[in-house]
Amino acid sequence: MDTRQLLIDTAERIFSDHCDKAVLDAAERGEFPERLWNVVRENGFHELAMADSGVDLKDAFAVIRVAGRHALPLPMVEILLANRWLQSSAELAVIGRLEGDRIADVPWAGNAKRALGIDWEGADGVSTSVSVEEIGTARNVAAESRDGLPVMAGAQPLGLNEPAFEMLALGRVASMAGCLERILELSLQYANEREQFGRPISKFQAIQHNLAIVAGEVAAASRAADAAIDALEGDRFALEVAAAKARVGEAAGIVAESAHQVHGAMGFTHEHQLHHFTRRVWAWRDEYGNEAFWQERLGRHLAGIGAEKVWDFLATRG
Amino acid sequence: MVVRFVLQFDRISLPEDSPALRAEVREFLAAESEHLARPNSDFGTGHDPAFSRKLGARGWIGMTWPKQYGGAERSFFERYVVTEELLAAGAPVSAHWIADRQSGPLLLRFGTDAQREAYVPPIARGESYFSIGMSEPNTGSDLASVRTTAKRTGDGWLINGTKLWTSEAHRNHYMITLVRTDAPSDNRHAGLSQIIVDLKNDGARIRPIRNIAGSEDFNEVVFEDVLVPEDRIVGEPGNGWQQVTSELAYERAGPERFLSAFRVFVELVRAAGEAPEPQLAAAIGRIAAHLMALRRMSISVAGMLEDGQSPEVEAALVKGLGNDFEKLLPEVARLAVPTGPGAEHRRFRQTFADTLLLSPAFTIRGGTREILRGVIARGLGLR
Ligand SMILES: Cc1cc2nc3c(=O)[nH]c(=O)nc-3n(C[C@H](O)[C@H](O)[C@H](O)COP(=O)(O)OP(=O)(O)OC[C@H]3O[C@@H](n4cnc5c(N)ncnc54)[C@H](O)[C@@H]3O)c2cc1C
Repeated sequence: MDTRQLLIDTAERIFSDHCDKAVLDAAERGEFPERLWNVVRENGFHELAMADSGVDLKDAFAVIRVAGRHALPLPMVEILLANRWLQSSAELAVIGRLEGDRIADVPWAGNAKRALGIDWEGADGVSTSVSVEEIGTARNVAAESRDGLPVMAGAQPLGLNEPAFEMLALGRVASMAGCLERILELSLQYANEREQFGRPISKFQAIQHNLAIVAGEVAAASRAADAAIDALEGDRFALEVAAAKARVGEAAGIVAESAHQVHGAMGFTHEHQLHHFTRRVWAWRDEYGNEAFWQERLGRHLAGIGAEKVWDFLATRG
Repeated sequence: MVVRFVLQFDRISLPEDSPALRAEVREFLAAESEHLARPNSDFGTGHDPAFSRKLGARGWIGMTWPKQYGGAERSFFERYVVTEELLAAGAPVSAHWIADRQSGPLLLRFGTDAQREAYVPPIARGESYFSIGMSEPNTGSDLASVRTTAKRTGDGWLINGTKLWTSEAHRNHYMITLVRTDAPSDNRHAGLSQIIVDLKNDGARIRPIRNIAGSEDFNEVVFEDVLVPEDRIVGEPGNGWQQVTSELAYERAGPERFLSAFRVFVELVRAAGEAPEPQLAAAIGRIAAHLMALRRMSISVAGMLEDGQSPEVEAALVKGLGNDFEKLLPEVARLAVPTGPGAEHRRFRQTFADTLLLSPAFTIRGGTREILRGVIARGLGLR
């Protein structure tokens, strides 16, 4: 078995064992998932994206995808990339969006020792210590922590030499791909179990067709995410991320909508687990650039190369 | 019970040597611009025998077939490169398309030596064209319900019945016709056979049917006591159902299942100019993002086929998704291109109109959207 599959299988097993609905509910109430964080650290998952981890960066993103499958209530994307860019995993560090002298949308700022602010345009950023008193707490639509904090005196410039913003966006792409797969599985399972009119609702053609549409979107999202991960460190990375974030984001809306329809009122309850997944893809499609943002970037590039060359662009990479 | 999503689209890329072949095709197309006066990416549009013969001469028809029968013994991937380049350029491929994609492989797999020798090399040369005779007035999605009969007589097969929607029957040379050779029984799939009909000489009556685009591409083909020789049957009598279903994956996941509207995209980019407004740029990006994902899924299926797997459900999924996208593309483009004074964009509007009028067929031919969703649902364990 190759390294990636081994990592995926290990992550799958550990996340299944340590992330259940109770853990998700607690995190969404604002309790930092301390035990889960310890398990992640014990297994070295937080160091996977570091230059000396011995693991291919692409494989690290494959693990992020597995975390997405489990709606893991830890900011794996931000943790992995913060440790990579700090070249240290000594303390909990996370990432947000640099806006002048503040950093926005920082997960679990109150639990972190260090926060990185990444500039969306310039691909550079700062590393700052965190002052707990000055944090403004906020949540995204999935009740994931997205705090605001100031850049403190003594903050360091990061001096990044890789496309940080695109890598963060890729993190959301990978997370969504995993999460969407799970939403489909939950929906298939529910459709086979729920009975109405004396038979499982999966026997109704309307349900079958809705789920076939969902499967198509999930498969497309999955293939798009794989392609963007494969493009890491390549010359077309930014454009591949643009295509993937746009495509996966579009799938997210369709899949979440249909999954709720198939689940009926049960899926609308807080008690059912579906919403942990659907709310996350709703949130993630908007973070680090929504579909329109990335479509426009990709579209501007293609307009720039011109009508006679667009096919060449599309056909250049398998 | 925990349900796992079973559909698999491997991370397969086209082989390293494909750029050379790709460049060769592009060079060829640049030199043959007389055949590309009105580019259309729909595989069913553009009957141009002279162009097909030129492709045949280059070895680009029957590419994967044995050399013995005029093929080039190249890989499915190489065939993929050639077909997608032709479609993207909007080349007129409809004359040889079905023979290359379907009829040749069918004859190679199930035909007799004599049939292979007689029919396959002219296909590879781009000289002999085939139609598919499956649908009938009362047989559409429910293909097993065909009523056209063929009775064995001392002199051959006596055919009676009507085929409908037969693309290019009025222009092509042969039709591989799905017929009942045995009376219907409890097993609906038994008693079906495939017979080669010579459309020019056997005496079937062919009547072209005008479509909404105003062209005559598909036909009604009527058989009244049409007698064809014994040796026209393909494979064992009664094996027809296995034969028509065996090639579905090949038929369904090719680039023609998501590129039919591609020229509209090219004209959208042209109309946008170098520095479009955000919304127009976003429309271009949205379409491109879909295309990139679909193309990779389609190549994944090609890879699984090359690998000897039979990804029937994956192929149905790619076709379904691709066909819906072919309809989405013109709609997205249409609303993105500026209208009003000074915004003529004639090339865009012409290409858009040509494609729009063909678009209803995208989700019908080769298995309707609804039938494909049924196949996917079965693959998901729902039926
Ligand atoms: C441009 C074009 C070219 C063609 N060329 C050829 C050709 O060369 N040779 C050939 O043999 N045929 C050809 N066809 C015919 C094509 O294969 C049929 O149109 C297709 O199989 C559908 O059959 P139908 O049109 O009779 O529709 P029907 O089967 O009558 O379907 C009508 C509608 O009902 C839906 N429907 C049917 N059954 C179900 C079900 N079980 N569940 C849910 N919905 C259902 C369909 O999806 C569709 O929306 C061509 C068609 C077109 C449009």
